[in-house]
Amino acid sequence: MSIVEILKEKLSSLNPEISEGKGFVSVKVEKDGLKQTARILRELGFDHVKTVTAIDYPKENEFEIIYHASSFLNEELAKYIIELRTRIPRDKPEIETLTDIWSSAEFPERETFEFFGITFKGHPDLRPILLLPEVVDKKPLRKDFVVKEEGIFR
Amino acid sequence: MLVDIITWPPLFQLVIAPGLVAALVIVIFILWFERKTAARVQMRIGPYHVSPRIGGGLQLIADLVRYSFQEIIIPKAADKPIFIGAPLAALVISLLPVVAMPFTTVPKYYPIPMDYSLLIAVALSTLSPIFIIAAGWASNNKFSIIGGLREAFVITAYELLIVITALAGGVAVLSYNLTDIVVAQKPFYKWILFTNPIAALTMFAAILMATSGFPFEIPEAENEIVAGAYTEYSGLMYGINMGAAYIKRFAYSLLFTLIFLGGWLPYEPSSGLIHGYLIPLVIVLVKSTIVMAIMSFLRAVYGRFRIDQALDGAWRIFIPLALIGFGIALIEAYLGVYA
Amino acid sequence: MSTVESIPKKLPGMDVNKLGKDLYEVFIGPQHPGSGHMRIIIRVDGDVIVEADPDLGYVHRTMEKLAEGREFIKVIPLMERMAILDACNITLPYVEAVEKLLDIEPPPRAKYLRVLLCEINRIASHLYGLGIFGVFLGHSTMYMWPFGDREVFVELAEKLTGARLTHTYPVPGGVRRDLPQGFAEDAEKAIRYMEKRLEEYRKIFLDNPVIQKRLIDVGVISKNLAAQLGIVGPNLRASGIKYDVRIIEPYEVYDELDFEVPVFEEGDAFARAWIRIIEMQQSLRIIRQVLEKIPDGDPLHEKFWAKAPALYKKVFEQTKRVKLIPLYANLKVPEGRAFARGEAGRGEIVYMVESNGSTKPYRVRVVSPSFRNAIVFRYIVPGHRIADLPAIYGSIDYFPPEADR
Repeated sequence: MSIVEILKEKLSSLNPEISEGKGFVSVKVEKDGLKQTARILRELGFDHVKTVTAIDYPKENEFEIIYHASSFLNEELAKYIIELRTRIPRDKPEIETLTDIWSSAEFPERETFEFFGITFKGHPDLRPILLLPEVVDKKPLRKDFVVKEEGIFR
Repeated sequence: MLVDIITWPPLFQLVIAPGLVAALVIVIFILWFERKTAARVQMRIGPYHVSPRIGGGLQLIADLVRYSFQEIIIPKAADKPIFIGAPLAALVISLLPVVAMPFTTVPKYYPIPMDYSLLIAVALSTLSPIFIIAAGWASNNKFSIIGGLREAFVITAYELLIVITALAGGVAVLSYNLTDIVVAQKPFYKWILFTNPIAALTMFAAILMATSGFPFEIPEAENEIVAGAYTEYSGLMYGINMGAAYIKRFAYSLLFTLIFLGGWLPYEPSSGLIHGYLIPLVIVLVKSTIVMAIMSFLRAVYGRFRIDQALDGAWRIFIPLALIGFGIALIEAYLGVYA
Repeated sequence: MSTVESIPKKLPGMDVNKLGKDLYEVFIGPQHPGSGHMRIIIRVDGDVIVEADPDLGYVHRTMEKLAEGREFIKVIPLMERMAILDACNITLPYVEAVEKLLDIEPPPRAKYLRVLLCEINRIASHLYGLGIFGVFLGHSTMYMWPFGDREVFVELAEKLTGARLTHTYPVPGGVRRDLPQGFAEDAEKAIRYMEKRLEEYRKIFLDNPVIQKRLIDVGVISKNLAAQLGIVGPNLRASGIKYDVRIIEPYEVYDELDFEVPVFEEGDAFARAWIRIIEMQQSLRIIRQVLEKIPDGDPLHEKFWAKAPALYKKVFEQTKRVKLIPLYANLKVPEGRAFARGEAGRGEIVYMVESNGSTKPYRVRVVSPSFRNAIVFRYIVPGHRIADLPAIYGSIDYFPPEADR
């Protein structure tokens, strides 16, 4: 069975959208089913998170939160990268943390918090990691924070 | 008349040779030697631009001139009298043991009566470490306090070693008089280095521990606690601190030369100023410079120990070795090797 | 001595925290010879560290935000500045992600040339890591020798690409320059020299009793803890997990080359020092094989130079050197999202590129290996002594500009 079929079978209760992308396998779930999906993936053998990030879609007024998970200890599953994603509204950016399932998500979640302003409920130590507090208030990586570069000829 | 005043032993030995002036010249030479050998081992050239013809030998004098012109910054919250006084006191008191060392057999040229000179020299050498701890305390800086504490811990490691191994030399000859110890090593094979190598090796390692030589460069570990007790010093005070460790090493290696390497032998001092005082002095200085050069070479080879590993090694390995050396000295005294 | 009342209670930006009893807070800060461009706040009880908190972000250069305002080809030099010692390894996954979106594949000769530069950079990066490791332990000879030998490989890279450190060699579609004449002989001399030098490193550093006492059983990371914390690179392989992107998901031509990936079981700092030296030996082996097996052909996909103006075509056909053609400046990448990973000197680097059909990317996400290794400071350092902090820092080969991006 290919990885897509295994995932479709295990996650059938949560009604995900599973597809193959360019270098990853994409699993899209609703916001409430995120933690349960992560737990099932952990039991399958995906034991760490490579990155946690968010993409800002101001036209649809949503954030898309993305976790990329893979496996170190299981050699068969190490070839696949599972992209676990969900959408949350832009006006109320809150989501449950996954650090109790994957400890390697601790530092990337702090980074997503400070750049986008998304609160991860239940995170053990949610404070800015790379930026200073004055810059964190401006939520730098959102699309409405425009970087104005000085023109040379003006 | 002028010559008599200058060569009056207490003045001559404490200020000119092997006191302040000779110590500074030899320390400058040893620092240059250390930098040059480390550079040659590490595929580079070392001091070069200041005086290329003599291999950069005047580099250290250029450094000293630069330190003299730098501003001495004293932190506002530091304890001023101790901050300024502690390094100066450390420098002067590290040189005190030379007053108890003989460099000839002619009694006219002894600074003090030499009957218990071994005990007096060892006792005087233990006075200086308190000033390093005081300098670390007065700086009001967390890294200085950690450096001063490390120095305090290292003292407990090496003090006992130096006392036991230095006395091992005296016990073998059955005398506390350094002149007797030197004269008893008359034939070349009777140097205490060859008859009691364990005590000699332990004293060598203890000198490295006492003066921050690699691999025991613990109180001033640059990558862990910036510069230890000397972090807040700048300008000429920094130069004095860096030189004080080497001057302490010079005093210890003079003691090492007199006890283990046969002092001024194989030369026999006769009367007169030059034959009776200056030539044996120069021979002792040359031998102790060789000892210091061997210690400098270890810089290019070893890393640095942790403080608890150094203390552990001192109490579990070196003190038993020192006691064995002392036992060998007792056996030699019983058999009358140096009678 | 100043008293407690004379210290102001709250200055702007300064908080007064309560500490536990008998604890002492030391800031191994940015101005420290043993910290690099970062700060580690440690709480010490005597000589034993009770808590450690890495404070990153001193050299954050906002690369992800800047990448949204530049064309696809201009993002390559931007991302390269993360770790310029390792330039080809760092930018290669980004180029692969863009190629996946464009749906083209570079010609075989280009793939071999990319692997050649990757391995040269890997050796230079490991030598830098060993040099910093040596100086953190007080061993100045182990600091000067790797930096001197690194010159050999930096000059080799200069012969190949024209720049010592910031090569910008892979572009979408191939590479920018071909092999010059006489490169194979120079490379063979460099390889033989380096093999002799690795023996010297073993004698003076790894067989040195002082270094062995400092490193054995320090910073032990067990196998399960390593997988759970998510650390990467030689640190992971020194803890018993055989994970190397070059054999798990071979990119470029790594599946046609014959090399080994060393794995150690102990997981302490000594194993991490050993593994870097063995990896350098394997990289030398790969360079030899690449220079034997390299096929003939073009170094750039013909889509990019076949329709170029006449001058560019002439330069390319005569000297096999790419003048950066206008097609790259207005490269419109089709919509989609791509993910690529590669094995840099310090570990696994991942890129996610999302494009919405214009000439500038919509979102570029990059996670460097040093950022993923930063969690070691939080969880492994407590319980050791102050003097073990530089030993652990040097053994995981943490590089702050790469971690902060």
